[in-house]
Amino acid sequence: MATAKKQPILEVKHLVKYFGEREILKDIDFTVEQGNVISVIGASGSGKSTMLRCINLLEMPTSGEIVFEGKNILDLSNNIALYRTKVGMVFQSFNLFSNMTVLQNCMASPVTVLKRKKEEARQIAMKYLEKVGMEQYINARPDQLSGGQKQRVAIARALAIKPQILLFDEPTSALDPQMVGEVLGVMRELAEEGLTMIIVTHEMAFARDVSTRVIYMADGVIVEDGTPQEVFGNPKNEKTKDFLARFTQNA
Amino acid sequence: MAADMPTTFFGWVVFIINQYGSALLQGAGVTLMLAIVGTLIGCIIGLLVGIVQTVPVTERTNTGLKILNKIVQFIFAAYVEIFRGTPMIVQAMVVYYGSMAVFDIDMSAMLAGFLVVSVNTGAYMAETVRGGIISIDKGQTEAAMAIGMNHFQTMYTVVLPQALKNIMPQIGNNLIINIKDTSVLNVISVTELYFASKSAAGVYYRYFEVFFVTCVIYFIMTFAASRLLRYFEKRMAGSADYQLVGDPMADPTGIFPNNTKMGGK
Ligand SMILES: Nc1ncnc2c1ncn2[C@@H]1O[C@H](COP(=O)(O)OP(=O)(O)OP(=O)(O)O)[C@@H](O)[C@H]1O
Ligand SMILES: [Mg+2]
Repeated sequence: MATAKKQPILEVKHLVKYFGEREILKDIDFTVEQGNVISVIGASGSGKSTMLRCINLLEMPTSGEIVFEGKNILDLSNNIALYRTKVGMVFQSFNLFSNMTVLQNCMASPVTVLKRKKEEARQIAMKYLEKVGMEQYINARPDQLSGGQKQRVAIARALAIKPQILLFDEPTSALDPQMVGEVLGVMRELAEEGLTMIIVTHEMAFARDVSTRVIYMADGVIVEDGTPQEVFGNPKNEKTKDFLARFTQNA
Repeated sequence: MAADMPTTFFGWVVFIINQYGSALLQGAGVTLMLAIVGTLIGCIIGLLVGIVQTVPVTERTNTGLKILNKIVQFIFAAYVEIFRGTPMIVQAMVVYYGSMAVFDIDMSAMLAGFLVVSVNTGAYMAETVRGGIISIDKGQTEAAMAIGMNHFQTMYTVVLPQALKNIMPQIGNNLIINIKDTSVLNVISVTELYFASKSAAGVYYRYFEVFFVTCVIYFIMTFAASRLLRYFEKRMAGSADYQLVGDPMADPTGIFPNNTKMGGK
């Protein structure tokens, strides 16, 4: 069913971002359709995080458009906070609220932002904590959890606002190798359920097997944008070939 | 009369406690009240100023708000600098006599005292609060924004609870400083402990003995305050471990019954 209606839900048009004099993103253009699972790969410093942060306006783009549900969210009249409830984000460093328990972390947004009743918020939070397998840990504080557990709670927290798109910025890069699997497992499940996701990652196997699309970035430009088969199997650009060759060597 | 007068140091101390004990205790009461109320109001002032000083201005803020923000920031910065940069004893003089001379307000010495301690503490607390807010990990603020919280909600639910916990020791510190520093208010005749002591000492010219007693009273107050605050800090820290929910290991009827004496050591 999800494959039947492919309508664009997010369009990034001519996105440019400067930090001071440096042009970090140069005319980024791409479209996200409902149910897309897009992996963004590329060398360190190529602007992947900056692009993701621009999409949910943690960084203000210098110019360009970000069209969500037909509206350019960079128009000053748009409510950024409301937009962000529709585009969630999961960070490399988890960023759980350290003054709250696991459960409170996941209830924060339903209660504070969506104005749900406590009991309803609790049910929402529990539902997503169960999904990520952290329902036993509701009374723990973030500093009492392992990295993998923290990241799963962070995913549950992001899901609790029921976003239409979820952005991931290297969700497994801060984890010990043995914990990477548990987080990728959760993400794979979300992908199978049809959640629209944009994932910046260095996990090439995950990008190849789980995503419906792969974007390769270099020096602030999208060099390659296609299916995993196209990008991994038959890259058009020399830069992509070099990048992938280096990765397969390491693997 | 001379026959009744004590001859030793301890004799004098006992004599003074008998004669002026209640006056000194009354002074101590005033001191405590000035310090506690001044610290509380000072914290509220500091919190407000500190919060306003950390309001972010972005490209999306409208011009009117930007100008208003600039003006308010200037006033607050001036407030903090002026009150931190001048001695409280001088502030007391200026406020007490100035209110009369300039505004024709006949303020009681006590009111002037409360005002000076509060406003002075507020200036220090503003800096502490600002530092406390800035020190909270930026990642958590971004995460709060990313789940749709606005600046106010982020502050209220994520930043301030952590900042306040972190600055608790500093609040306690301010209380202790205030217990001691309210003594400068004797220059405007607030009848706090120092003023009461000076009056008592003047009667028999027993400065050493009276101020020895005063010293002990000040120390009891600051020491009690310090212990009490330490206790509250500990209570705020929360428990060191957590219980799994619905875990067989935590189930009393499970494989490791934890309600019997078996595991107890
Ligand atoms: N706040 C900032 N101010 C100035 N320069 C920045 C800022 N954030 C990022 N940059 C620069 O922008 C460039 C792109 O950074 P970005 O973090 O987007 O790269 P990335 O592709 O995510 O890299 P990595 O794989 O290491 O995470 C880098 O050169 C970085 O130094
Ligand atoms: Mg990055």
